Amino acid sequence: MNSKFKPDDTNIISFSLMGPESGGPCLVDSKDGKMIRIRPYYYDREHIEKNCNPWKIEARGKSFSAPDRVTITPFGLGYKARVYSPNRVRYPLKRVDWDPKGERNPQNRGKSKFVRISWDEAAQIVADELVRIRDTYGPEAVLCQADMHGEGKNVSPSHGCPNRLLSLMGGYTLQMRNADSWEGWFWGAKHVWGCEPVGEMAPQTNLYPDIAKHSDLLLFWGCDPETTPLGVVSHMPSRLCYWFTEIGIKSVYVCPDLNYGAAVHADKWIPILPNTDAALQLAIAYMWITEGTYDKEYIATHAYGFDKFEDYVLGREDGVPKTPAWASEKCGVPEWTIKALARDWVEKTASIIHGNGGCYIRGPYATEPARLEVMLLAMRGLGKPGVHQAKMIEWNLWNRDYPVPYQGQFTPAVPHICDALRPVDGDVSPEINMKRFVLSEAQKKRAPELIELFEQLPAPKQFIPRTLIHKAILEGHAEWYGLQCFSSSQVPDENNYRKPTADYQFEKMVYPRPGLSKVHMIWTDAPCQVTCWNNGNLMIEAMRSPEIECIVAQHPWLENDCYFADIIFPVATKHEIPDIGNDLSSGGFVSVYFEQPCCPPVGESVSDFDVCARVAEKLGPEYLRAYTGNLTEEDRVRFFYKASGCEEHLSWEEFKKKKIFVVPCKPDAQELPAGLYGFYKDPKANPLSTPTGLIEFTSTAIEKYMPDDPERPPVPRWIEKSESHDERLSSERTKNYPLLCMSNHGRWRMHAQCDDIVWNREVETMKIRAKDGYQYEPVWLHPIEAEKRGISHGDIVKVFNERGTVLGAAYVTERLIPSTCYMDHGARLDPIIPGVLDRGGCINSITPTSMTSKRCTGMAVSGFLVEVQKVTDEEMEAWKRDYPEAFARKIDYAAGVCLDGWLIGDEQNG
Amino acid sequence: MAKVFTIDVTRCSGCYNCQLACKDEHAGNDWRPYAAEQPLIGQFWMKVQENVCGTQPKLRIHYIPKLCNHCEKAICMEVCPNGAIYRRDDGLVVISPEKCKGCGRCKKACPYDAIYFNEELKISQKCTGCAHLLDNGYKLPRCVEACPTDALRFGEESEMEDFIVGADVLKPETGLRPKVYYRNIPGKFIAGTVYDPMEKEVIIGATCILNCGGKVWKATTDEYGDFWFNDLPIGVFDLVISAPGYEYKSFYKLRTLKDINLGDIPLDKAT
Repeated sequence: MNSKFKPDDTNIISFSLMGPESGGPCLVDSKDGKMIRIRPYYYDREHIEKNCNPWKIEARGKSFSAPDRVTITPFGLGYKARVYSPNRVRYPLKRVDWDPKGERNPQNRGKSKFVRISWDEAAQIVADELVRIRDTYGPEAVLCQADMHGEGKNVSPSHGCPNRLLSLMGGYTLQMRNADSWEGWFWGAKHVWGCEPVGEMAPQTNLYPDIAKHSDLLLFWGCDPETTPLGVVSHMPSRLCYWFTEIGIKSVYVCPDLNYGAAVHADKWIPILPNTDAALQLAIAYMWITEGTYDKEYIATHAYGFDKFEDYVLGREDGVPKTPAWASEKCGVPEWTIKALARDWVEKTASIIHGNGGCYIRGPYATEPARLEVMLLAMRGLGKPGVHQAKMIEWNLWNRDYPVPYQGQFTPAVPHICDALRPVDGDVSPEINMKRFVLSEAQKKRAPELIELFEQLPAPKQFIPRTLIHKAILEGHAEWYGLQCFSSSQVPDENNYRKPTADYQFEKMVYPRPGLSKVHMIWTDAPCQVTCWNNGNLMIEAMRSPEIECIVAQHPWLENDCYFADIIFPVATKHEIPDIGNDLSSGGFVSVYFEQPCCPPVGESVSDFDVCARVAEKLGPEYLRAYTGNLTEEDRVRFFYKASGCEEHLSWEEFKKKKIFVVPCKPDAQELPAGLYGFYKDPKANPLSTPTGLIEFTSTAIEKYMPDDPERPPVPRWIEKSESHDERLSSERTKNYPLLCMSNHGRWRMHAQCDDIVWNREVETMKIRAKDGYQYEPVWLHPIEAEKRGISHGDIVKVFNERGTVLGAAYVTERLIPSTCYMDHGARLDPIIPGVLDRGGCINSITPTSMTSKRCTGMAVSGFLVEVQKVTDEEMEAWKRDYPEAFARKIDYAAGVCLDGWLIGDEQNG
Repeated sequence: MAKVFTIDVTRCSGCYNCQLACKDEHAGNDWRPYAAEQPLIGQFWMKVQENVCGTQPKLRIHYIPKLCNHCEKAICMEVCPNGAIYRRDDGLVVISPEKCKGCGRCKKACPYDAIYFNEELKISQKCTGCAHLLDNGYKLPRCVEACPTDALRFGEESEMEDFIVGADVLKPETGLRPKVYYRNIPGKFIAGTVYDPMEKEVIIGATCILNCGGKVWKATTDEYGDFWFNDLPIGVFDLVISAPGYEYKSFYKLRTLKDINLGDIPLDKAT
């Protein structure tokens, strides 16, 4: 072999972008200290065959086997461009006109640029500010915006390190994540079938083998198996979809867009107006009730309160029978197609498939379609073979036993060092949380060296839901219901059961709590609020409030909320630091792998963990000792492996040599009953976790606590408009904003991540280079809507409503139902007028402020009214004239917004 | 011996991994003498072509990954005045970055638009089949290795006959004998939904007869009242739809230059 072509190093690295357990391993070749290529990881076939019990699903004379490799996603594959992006934060930065000892100029956040400062200065400033703020207002004056998504790192996690340090300083105000991918399930479906912790069907045990054997129809309802799984799983869902077609299972897609899954897998696409699924579902129930085709026996034994539901569907309650004709007008599906779908669903054994995202579950009043879906499944005998709600992602997340039989004989227990979403003490029963973030007795025994590091620090005393951060800051006060804990903290017990949390949704919460301070400083390790959450423009206003004296961001890239920070710490990506990776979700095998840096950290970046260690050092040696547990990064890698339980199977020395330990599959995994089969067979012996133990068509909890809530009544219904939202095509607002805007997870981005991968940006559904040379975010429009507005493919357009304006480029396509427009969420903000006008295509900057509904503390960021118009040359020229500094910022031709655009003068290229 | 690429279009999910892997390998990496560095963006030695077919809701997409065909009668080799383009023993056709003088004749001659001109280096560039990897211990070109659905394969022509026999090549009329074989590139479709406008019900089991110059295709409407005629040649078609108890309906001169969605078709009750 010619040495020129031989890499110096080949490392196994995780391409995880959704927390440490997501994604899977890939191979990275490096030479001369630079990454040269990223490839899929191929298992050692011989070793696997001999030692790992590779699984196989057999059905209808065909089989589907464990793959020979981890199918890498486009994000993982293009990550070299992400690591070496011109958007990287290369050294600590300070906003030029923010002076902690003088003028702070909060009004200039998002406008003024940054200067390079030393690590020493940056860490000292932040340490001093933390102490000053705490001593002036109390520890709760610091809001910690941490999260769960982001690069999956274990020993130096992307999220939660600031929480750890702030706990040592006496506390902070926690930003509690809402159930952003599961809003409707969490706030709605949970009250129908329990299914803790998120309200999607649980358990998901063996659903895919069962579907392969027993289902003949799959309803992909608001589901894109070729998009959302990419950031979380691998291409396994894609391969499964091909196989289902091969064995003769029909795939019907119900969604406003011909999404990427429908494009290649659909046998039938039923386009539906965004966020109108509840109407279609009610009409299907109407058909089944009036034609007597639902499973009456099952309903008699497995359901509670069906009579009230029936009254509503038939119009006995409100005088409006929910007929196909009634529904057709609302949802845009022809009456005959609604009837055909209802009857086909009776004829066939059907499961519903989901993959998070889409309009379906994170629109206004998402509780209603979520609840109705469960009821339709119940009317078809939910839990019987072939009748399930199955997920194409998060296979490991809530499931002790997986829907695809790849689970290991044991689950490697790599510790989680930081809990970014730890509940306030006393808010919830200690039984239902925290288990993932403490060292278990077994882990302690295996790795006593970690005990000090995992010593429990005091919990925060106050939290604000992520959906309400902006309002809480601007109004100095907030009220809401529930969200005392983010569900992820729950671990099933030995009976695969989780404690019910649905009751926690009904408690009224406030900010600030009596005796505790309001927020005056923000520390974020998840700076994507403006592009991922509700009403980003309002968040911009909040970040520019004089109430907020200091904003600190730590992130590998200068993007989104970072523009509004006063101090920015440079963070190394996972390809630059050592770690222990654990693949629980790519769907082939469970594995643990030894990750070594593929290249030196870019610029002066350090791991997230070390960012906070440097601040701790400035606070004093006692802080540093407590923060690090007196362990080095190397120690943590070593002892995390020790704690994982793998060392009993593969010694540390061998592990370092082989770099991966593939956990043998459970040979009998497919013998466990699928899904809710136990409940189906005997609901008394195997009750659901609802108050009645049954499927509640009338929710007993809502009846008890909030019987008069018109936005989430005990029986689900169609809500045309109500106090929280007026986002239908029937609204008066359509005079100005006649299009329903849909926004899904991006095909070429993982939420806010990877917007700068230059090669992804060449794909036309990722970015469109318009006539001014700028790469705009595509705005999908049906040809009819484009023509009405004189818009041609590729034109620069503006998408706007009362909350602001976002620019994009028209992507004129048959793939989207008329009366709508579509934009992926997560594009990087490029503010022309911060909080008003964005060039980057950050659609969430104009999403509704209101939550899922008044008493459901979720977000409604898809299915809202806007108008789209062509941007005239005069208009663009006027912006350029009025906001020259915004247009003067450097834009990288290939990667878009970049560090140089936000740096001052001589510091560039430094 | 000859290496070939095979591409099964029905298995291509449009993930673009092949296109991205090629960029990861060649953009910013110098593999001389096999290939000079590809510019960061703008060249597509492997390019996924997206074809959106039909209209809503009879709409389908297929993706055709396209790359240098490593033709047996490589026209690029023939027109190169500098002997810069050569065929390796394994059949892969490579442009030598050392010998190429940048005249651009190969780019003009290639009927597959597979050759790009590097403005900075003043040379022509294209897919090398990742020869630099194959010669140094790697088994597959990057595009094939990255394909998650096994739509792309690479290997010895003699060992891939199962796929190759009956497979298509792009633009066979050029006679250049490409070594990239395709299966399942769909032909055109004619589709629609048949329904009863009075009852507002789809009509299941309606008979649809399609005729093109005496050649006849037959389809029956399914559970959703849908009929699909798939994989049609380009031509002019007449269609008759009939169902017991309904007046029949005819469509004449349907031209399949594009895929045709006839939409929701009402059939009147027979009187």
